[in-house]
Amino acid sequence: MSIMEYNGGAVVAMKGKDCVAIACDRRFGTQQTTVAMDNTRIFKIHNKLYIGLGGLMTDVQTVGQILQFRHNLYRLREKRNMSPAAFTKVVSNLLYSKRFGPYFVDPIIVGLDKNDEPFVSSMDLIGATEISDNFACVGTTEDELYGICENLWNDKMEDKDLFETISQSLLSATDRDCLAGWGSVVYLIKKNSVEISELKARQD
Amino acid sequence: MSRGWMPYQNNGGTSIALAGKDYAIIAADRRLSVGYSIQTRESSKITKLTDKAVLASCGMQADRHTLHSVLTSRMQMYQLEHGKEMSTHAVSEMLSRTLYYRRFFVYYTFNILAGIDNKGEGFVYSYDAVGSFEAQKHAVNGDGGVLAVPMLDNFVMKKHRQLEDKTKEMTKDEALRLIKNTLNAVVEREITTGDAADIYVITKEGTTHEIFQLRKD
Repeated sequence: MSIMEYNGGAVVAMKGKDCVAIACDRRFGTQQTTVAMDNTRIFKIHNKLYIGLGGLMTDVQTVGQILQFRHNLYRLREKRNMSPAAFTKVVSNLLYSKRFGPYFVDPIIVGLDKNDEPFVSSMDLIGATEISDNFACVGTTEDELYGICENLWNDKMEDKDLFETISQSLLSATDRDCLAGWGSVVYLIKKNSVEISELKARQD
Repeated sequence: MSRGWMPYQNNGGTSIALAGKDYAIIAADRRLSVGYSIQTRESSKITKLTDKAVLASCGMQADRHTLHSVLTSRMQMYQLEHGKEMSTHAVSEMLSRTLYYRRFFVYYTFNILAGIDNKGEGFVYSYDAVGSFEAQKHAVNGDGGVLAVPMLDNFVMKKHRQLEDKTKEMTKDEALRLIKNTLNAVVEREITTGDAADIYVITKEGTTHEIFQLRKD
């Protein structure tokens, strides 16, 4: 079994008109056994920047915490928050520095830049970056998520529509993956607020 | 170091089917690929077995071709011996047995049989490579199957739709639109699916066939 599938899990992010959303499932398992149903793979960097990571859970936690630590130092030195584009480069750099002994994570970065423009980017475990116009999916449920996101996403979604679309996509996709599920957490990031919702799904 | 010779090959593609109250729709793309190359953009994965039953198979084209030929001749023999077409239930059982007959050198085909039964109700049966089958409301197969299935769960089975009336059935036109949208979505993200798709709509009145163009990249 691949190391990226050991703990299971799914993260998806979508761009809206003036907002972004990121969501993850809540399962944490060791191969077939479920160990926790209240796990989260999404880390807050600052009010308008979040990172979600698919892959091996220990590396998810390590990389998430390292990035929060690095941003805290950045904020002390620069007296401002990091932009999503710059943060993407930081993450990519961190991962490539471990090119021949990588962190087993697939990050997705979402945020609003200094003009409150939506931003979504994703990368593989060694830092190859893609800045998306629409959505990004990682995790064991990647294929299912690509299928349904491709169908449901459109470029005219306000916050309510975006929330509905990302929730239905993640819930429907993780239903078909035995390594991901047990509900989900959705972060809807708008100019002046962040809404965090916990969704109940099939508890298997 | 030689890897040996394998008698099987994956020719890619996707097939999707769904059953309604009095109709069934089955679709499969027409791309034939080996690895990263396309052999042809016009290879159909679907055969109409009777007026009421249509079969789509993903997997290996050679085995699909043989399987479909074998079944077509069995249909013809049945017609000549019994003076009528095989019933849909009998077709589904026969396919299962034909596949299991080759249990130890399987037909590398993943089959979906769709159509209407003798009462006029839509049905979909999906099979594994050795003939285990089950009646379902919708089925997918092939490399692009995993991309399509959450869409069908959401719209056909209305999963996660708390506020919707789950007893309301999908109409034939809504179902056709769903299939076309789903195919387009799969084609965007899955490399072995594309070019065009055969879409068969089976009703009591007969079977219509459409070749729906898809992205060719």
